[in-house]
Amino acid sequence: MNRYKVTFYPDNKVVEVVEGTTILSAAISCGVYINSPCSGDGVCGKCKVMVIDEDGKGRLSLACTSRIHQDFRVDVPLESRLELDPEIKNAAFESQEAEFKSVDSSGLGFKHDPLSKKIYLDLQSLDTGETLSDLDRLCCAVSKASGISPLQANLFNIRYLGELLRSCGWKVTVTLAKKNNGYEIILIEPQDNSANNFGLSFDIGTTTISGQLINLNKGVILGSRIAYNSQAIFGADVITRIIYSGKEGGLEKLHNLVSVTINQMIKELVEGCRVSLNDLTSIVCSGNTTMIHLLLKINPAYIRIDPYLPVANSIPPLRASEAGININPRGLLYCVPGVASYVGGDITAGILSSRLYKMKDLSLLIDIGTNGEVALGNEEFIVASAASAGPAFEGSGLTCGMRALTGAIESIKIKPDDFSVSYSVIGNVKACGICGSGYISLLSGMLSSGIIDKSGKITNTANKRLRASDSGCEFIVAFGAETNTGEDIVITEADIENLKRAKAAVYSALSVLIRHMNFKIEDIRNIFIAGGFGTSLDIDSAVRIGLLPDLERKRFSFIGNSALAGARDVLLSSQAHDETEEIARKVTYFELSNDSAYMDEYMAALFFPHTDLSRFPSFKS
Amino acid sequence: MAVQLMQEKWQGVISTVTIGATKEDGGSRSSTIKIGAEESLPCLFKEGAIPNKPRVAFEVWDVPPVDWPRELSQEFSDSLNDPFVWAGKCIKDYNAELICLRLQGAHPDYQDKSPEEEAAFIKEFIRRVNLPLIILGCGDDAKDNLLLPACSEAARGERCLIGNATQENYKAIAASAMADGHSIIAESPIDVNIAKQLNILICDTGLPLERIVIDPTIGALGYGLEYAYSIMERARLAALSGDKTLASPFICFVGQEAWRAKEAKSGEPSQGVMWEVITAASLIQAGADLLVMRHPDAAVKAGKFIDKLFYKK
Repeated sequence: MNRYKVTFYPDNKVVEVVEGTTILSAAISCGVYINSPCSGDGVCGKCKVMVIDEDGKGRLSLACTSRIHQDFRVDVPLESRLELDPEIKNAAFESQEAEFKSVDSSGLGFKHDPLSKKIYLDLQSLDTGETLSDLDRLCCAVSKASGISPLQANLFNIRYLGELLRSCGWKVTVTLAKKNNGYEIILIEPQDNSANNFGLSFDIGTTTISGQLINLNKGVILGSRIAYNSQAIFGADVITRIIYSGKEGGLEKLHNLVSVTINQMIKELVEGCRVSLNDLTSIVCSGNTTMIHLLLKINPAYIRIDPYLPVANSIPPLRASEAGININPRGLLYCVPGVASYVGGDITAGILSSRLYKMKDLSLLIDIGTNGEVALGNEEFIVASAASAGPAFEGSGLTCGMRALTGAIESIKIKPDDFSVSYSVIGNVKACGICGSGYISLLSGMLSSGIIDKSGKITNTANKRLRASDSGCEFIVAFGAETNTGEDIVITEADIENLKRAKAAVYSALSVLIRHMNFKIEDIRNIFIAGGFGTSLDIDSAVRIGLLPDLERKRFSFIGNSALAGARDVLLSSQAHDETEEIARKVTYFELSNDSAYMDEYMAALFFPHTDLSRFPSFKS
Repeated sequence: MAVQLMQEKWQGVISTVTIGATKEDGGSRSSTIKIGAEESLPCLFKEGAIPNKPRVAFEVWDVPPVDWPRELSQEFSDSLNDPFVWAGKCIKDYNAELICLRLQGAHPDYQDKSPEEEAAFIKEFIRRVNLPLIILGCGDDAKDNLLLPACSEAARGERCLIGNATQENYKAIAASAMADGHSIIAESPIDVNIAKQLNILICDTGLPLERIVIDPTIGALGYGLEYAYSIMERARLAALSGDKTLASPFICFVGQEAWRAKEAKSGEPSQGVMWEVITAASLIQAGADLLVMRHPDAAVKAGKFIDKLFYKK
């Protein structure tokens, strides 16, 4: 069989593949990640690449369906790449770090007591030591120095203990890590290394993975990294991933993709912050139940089969190396406990970091992602639900949708008299597409300027920005001359329908939850909004389209990536760790698919903003 | 001690829709018909006022129907070929008080008559028949979009009820009905939410809610009648509980649905008539305000049923 060379630009990576291989699999094999939300079924059209033949002519093709029959060059355009550029990485985290500080300074922070701590001990000075065994002597010293006595140790450390103590003059640094209501000696190092104690907090999202390197002694963030979850090449949502994991070798592949990504991020973090990998003693991961299953290579198949049970909600602390994560080989991995199959540790972490469970007043946490999760409660109770909103607000499944990265239109203004459009693009470059917050402001603008009616149909067609297409009427947001690809950026009636369903799923989930608990929407005093579109989301627009309830705007607050913030709280405070266990136990999961009112609520919400206009008094005409 | 009956107190009231304009109102109809205005569920006279009886409209086509079963068409015999004779028979022989004129001839699959042709026909019909009128399009969204505005103009000032407006074509119909002083029928596919959405959308164009009649879409006996019944009941309960956007009277196309049932066409004597009557009787109890019927015997029987129910009135 013939073999051909394919070169991927701008990465400049070359790979040799057998004839007939698709461009997508060639790209995967050499570590070039191309966006493919439909996992290569050839239906989503998001993996467009430019195939350049010998005489330099380019041809736009889908990477998943184009097969290789000769040597050629492939240019992967910005909108098809599954990577974040560094500018976004920094921009995305600046706001979060600021927010981290503000939370702490407000006095709601937890007691600083990291999950793993290092203690320097000089065992020579221990006066009662003469008749004690080495291990007893060590334990005794630990309890004297830290007040922690119920210790576990493992054979690995005990075997080397005798030689180690004697070779370094009885001066050692002991690392203790929280495990099973006590502490385990996970590491004994010669001499004083207690200043070098670092940990990691990670949020493993279906779409994005974010991680931070933290100085555990000081509680300071040293660095942040964000990357796409490269599992996305096997599907955009958890259900397609679960299905893929059932294929031969699928679970293994998905597990490897996520652990490789995490390890790469860890490598960048330790190099960037000049920290030794061996000084990373713990890592805390939050993520939805499926992502945690895949991270630990646990079969997630039962999550999508009635009665929808995960293998585990709460995972005991493990050696990180068992899950394939490269930190100190003795270091521990903690997963924030989840509530149910579709309400995972990311929500527990969100409840923790938003302090919803400490609120006297009724509060609501909305995490808008591929799965829209809502949690309602206060210090006395919490109920949570998940609604499959679909990935529309992450820009997936829409004609010109994209994630919130460079080139995405993030906010749009429409002049009502002539429908002229002004917009702002992330990174101030030529526009490539529209991201979630962009779609929200676009819909809101189209509604107020009368381009669409309340059902989302385009009603006015006498304008150069409006034209008929295969999938109904469409509105041109940016003409080809202004865009990166040279093609018009549009929103079609089908896109609007898609967004309408997504917003209806989120709104109806929260409204069923509130009604189920016999509250009124007005009773909610605090609304925390978490999720990908963070700071660029305009609340007024989100209310205008009926995604969020119409309440006083000051009751809303953005908390950015609350799953990551919660993981960090856990890493830095054993109290926070215990509280996540408590939260996970305390949260009552409310299954919407069994609830007859949900479908009615959902149907009633399929309108802009809602068929019950009395719920949206700000927009009563 | 006398037993105290539980009585519901409703906050909402169904809007009143008037069909037909007499000389005083600037039209040429011999009478007007008011429907709606209920303040309670059907037949619960003690709980609130029910000032208007449900009304029966006789269905007349502009062209001879080709697919009507024999049991139905034989009743009219030759008169089906001439809409004026057909309408005259309904009035003279069966005391019709309301005619529902269906412009089936405009349908692209029928005779594809042009809007101008149909508008001229409407003008002639208005001149020769002086009952209040319901004017229906041909059921093809694209064609009705052109047809109904033309007919609305032709019937200007006669305060007709024009339909059907759907989610796809409500704009043009609502705009012309508003200009020409008519009311419109808003059709939704057995779905309370869409009924409500469509009412809101139509109101957004400027046509007041008091000029909308809901066609909830019904099924005949044995063909989804219960479903239609419960949808109408839900909408009515919501309206009486204060939801103004659903507080419109109902129109039910009883004849059209009943004569699609295979039992109605079985050849058994009077089975078809009874099929239509029972469908109508059930829907009256669900809150129907206007029943469009095909067989004159069925229409007369439904009328008698209504009179018995409303004997106190």
